[in-house]
Amino acid sequence: MNGCILILVALGLSIVFGLMGIINFAHGIFYMLGAYAGWLTVHLTGSFWLALLVAPLAVGVVGAGVERGVLKRIYGTANANFAGVLVTYGLAILIPDLVRMTFGRPGKPFAVPKALTGSLFQLGATEVHGYRVFILLVTALLLPALWLLLNKTNLGLVIRAGTSDNLMVQLLGINVARTWTITYALGAALAAFAGVITAPLVAVAPEMGGLVLIECFIVTVVGGMGSFVGAVAGGLLIGETLALTGMLYDVFADVVIYLMMAFVLLVRPRGLFGQEGMSEE
Amino acid sequence: MKGLAVAALVLATAPLYADYTPFYLGLLTEVLVFGLFALAYDVLLGHTGVLSLGHSAFVGVAAYTTGILLARYRAPVELSVLAGAVGGLVTALILGVFVLRKRGVYLAMLTLALSQVFYYVVLMWTPVTGGTDGLGNLPILYLSQPLGLRLSKRPITRYYVIAAVIFLAMLAIRHLLRSPLGRVMRAVKANETRAAACGYDTRRVRLVAFAISGLFSGLAGALLTLVLEFVPIENIHWQMSGTVLIMTLFGGTGTLLGPFVGAGVFIWMRDFLSKHLEYWEVFVGSAFVLIVLFFPEGIVGTLARLAARRRAVPESDAEARPVEPEQLVAPGGGGNGAGATLLESRGLTKSFGGLTAVNRVDFQVRTGELRSVIGPNGAGKTTFFNLLTGVLPPSGGRILFKGADITGLPAHAVSRLGIARSYQVTNIFGDLSVFENVRIAAQSRVTHYRFWGNADHLAAVNARAEEILRHLGLWAKRHLRGAELSHGEQRYLEIGIALATDPDFLLLDEPTAGMSPDETQRTATFVRRLAGHVTIVVVEHDMDVVMGISDRITVLNYGEVLAEGTPAEIRENADVRRVYLKD
Repeated sequence: MNGCILILVALGLSIVFGLMGIINFAHGIFYMLGAYAGWLTVHLTGSFWLALLVAPLAVGVVGAGVERGVLKRIYGTANANFAGVLVTYGLAILIPDLVRMTFGRPGKPFAVPKALTGSLFQLGATEVHGYRVFILLVTALLLPALWLLLNKTNLGLVIRAGTSDNLMVQLLGINVARTWTITYALGAALAAFAGVITAPLVAVAPEMGGLVLIECFIVTVVGGMGSFVGAVAGGLLIGETLALTGMLYDVFADVVIYLMMAFVLLVRPRGLFGQEGMSEE
Repeated sequence: MKGLAVAALVLATAPLYADYTPFYLGLLTEVLVFGLFALAYDVLLGHTGVLSLGHSAFVGVAAYTTGILLARYRAPVELSVLAGAVGGLVTALILGVFVLRKRGVYLAMLTLALSQVFYYVVLMWTPVTGGTDGLGNLPILYLSQPLGLRLSKRPITRYYVIAAVIFLAMLAIRHLLRSPLGRVMRAVKANETRAAACGYDTRRVRLVAFAISGLFSGLAGALLTLVLEFVPIENIHWQMSGTVLIMTLFGGTGTLLGPFVGAGVFIWMRDFLSKHLEYWEVFVGSAFVLIVLFFPEGIVGTLARLAARRRAVPESDAEARPVEPEQLVAPGGGGNGAGATLLESRGLTKSFGGLTAVNRVDFQVRTGELRSVIGPNGAGKTTFFNLLTGVLPPSGGRILFKGADITGLPAHAVSRLGIARSYQVTNIFGDLSVFENVRIAAQSRVTHYRFWGNADHLAAVNARAEEILRHLGLWAKRHLRGAELSHGEQRYLEIGIALATDPDFLLLDEPTAGMSPDETQRTATFVRRLAGHVTIVVVEHDMDVVMGISDRITVLNYGEVLAEGTPAEIRENADVRRVYLKD
């Protein structure tokens, strides 16, 4: 199930990079904020299902605010891509402390929704929990929907066209600024959604964004930055590797995925499904 | 020199203001060590244009190496510090090999991810590293070795020993940045493509910069272990990379003083702000975002700019005007169209996916010839140039230069063989001075990696650069930045950069693009006179120019050679008339 979460977070990272050329270091923050927004919703209303809806919307709005309020100032300046990394990095330092200020340092417990507790069935020696099946199903439903959004709608067309030639799309009279805001917000919302559905499996804590961000970097390097299929394949590969090595020998889990990344970098620098020339020499 | 004297004075008298209290002296020493770390970091960021987020690995490996040698092997302090610095260097080389295939923000992401490997190794290797508890019990105070003894006495002696080491390291970095190698690093930062076209192996230059940065970061990490007498695991955590990035940007990149100022401000925030604010990182993070958005030059950079505003821009009404090309090229390249074949392509092909931009082109140029390549837009002219100069690898066919096969050689190797080019879209070092633009190109024929000596004292290189600038009429503007020149002047500078590499073979991609009729005429005359001394292939749209200056003309259409011949033959060629006049 690890893989599903990674796919959702890495997809947002990948789409934003593809379109805007920015490695969004604030992406892990949106994941963390999503978990907190979900916790708050459950805390106030008691409904997990409402949290699934509220968190992505709320964090999507935050994402749009970050894009409009901060990132917009650096477009078109010299070294805009560097500056994009730097400001999002600054946000990644700033926002967890804001969250600590608001919610306190210790993490928040997040219970698995009642309808999904308990094991569904036995698979060999392991029990399959309802909640894990739920994550799997949700991801399986969400991914095709996203694929349709990116490949069959007007918005998706503009995003993909903008990825290959931004100036040309602008010259065609399309409102690129709005597309960028929407894309950035979409990435944030995806991360937030992943944050909510992970929350019952881990403790909700201000630090949870940093770790998932680095794992997503590895996913995008392995799968290929800017590629939908790459994010999915990379997420599954890295997520399941983490789970398997974690079961066999805990301390090795983290190292194995780095070795995979190093191997891909040496053998196929663009990643498994990356486009030729993307961020290469 | 004055700045150095001031720095030495400040370092020597700083303990006075700190009242000799051990607490403030410790803090001061820490500021110096982090200042060195930030300066080492800026060798990459501010002077080579590489954004790394993996420096926690360099400083961390060094800190642990020093710590382990001291704690487990009771090694001498000097040796442990040296080993730490080497540890930083080796780590940087390992990381560099993996990440330098990439560039820009993608490279930054990779450095962050890979640096975490070192963190996990430390975490897992608890028996040696102490794991999350860090590495303590360093017997620095009990050592009897000379440096250990001096370190042990009093905090004030420790301060002076470490300050002296850091001052020397600063001198070394300053010297390095002024050396020919340091200038190449700046050129790579300003325009990597152009630097490669001047003959510099830019990937290797970046690796060297990585190694230098790793060495001095390592020294800082080793000294940090001495200062703290402890190696916390935070030293190797990725947030350490963030810390050094923040320090460097606070102070200002590209300056010697900035990193130290930034380290001071950051440590002040950490120690004094945190007394009053529990969540001081909110403040640091906000300050960082504001600096990036509104003061990208940092504290020192912004102050320096304000101070420099008074300095007047050198006025000059001398117009850029190429003169006397005879003196611009080394003798011996010429002889009008009479020589042997200099460059030849056989079946040269380049496909991009389904599009074949250059299709089985056979092409020969004789020594001393002036050849024009013409053709409608999209005929593959610029792609053809990119193939000849190693910018793009061909999909098929071969390229021979002076009889040797140069197919598939990278751009810098092609340049070293004596092939130079200008670009259709002006491609100069916009942030470097006009003089440096040409000087750095001329330097590539003398030295690439020399890290000693002052680059400004390479007499032959300076003379060559001056000669070229005078002949191009740009000498009066040598102090301006390249980007400040007018369009026409930038076009001349472009040719100047190409000529400074002493080529035998010069490719000019639309040298008159965007020029006024007057400038076009002058440029045409200039190119024609140049042709007596160097073999030239020129892509040009202005038919008057082409017909006026060319010995022979090659016509490309849809990536294939449509016709070739003298201007008169081409003018009469039915195929050419059909393509151009659509009749």
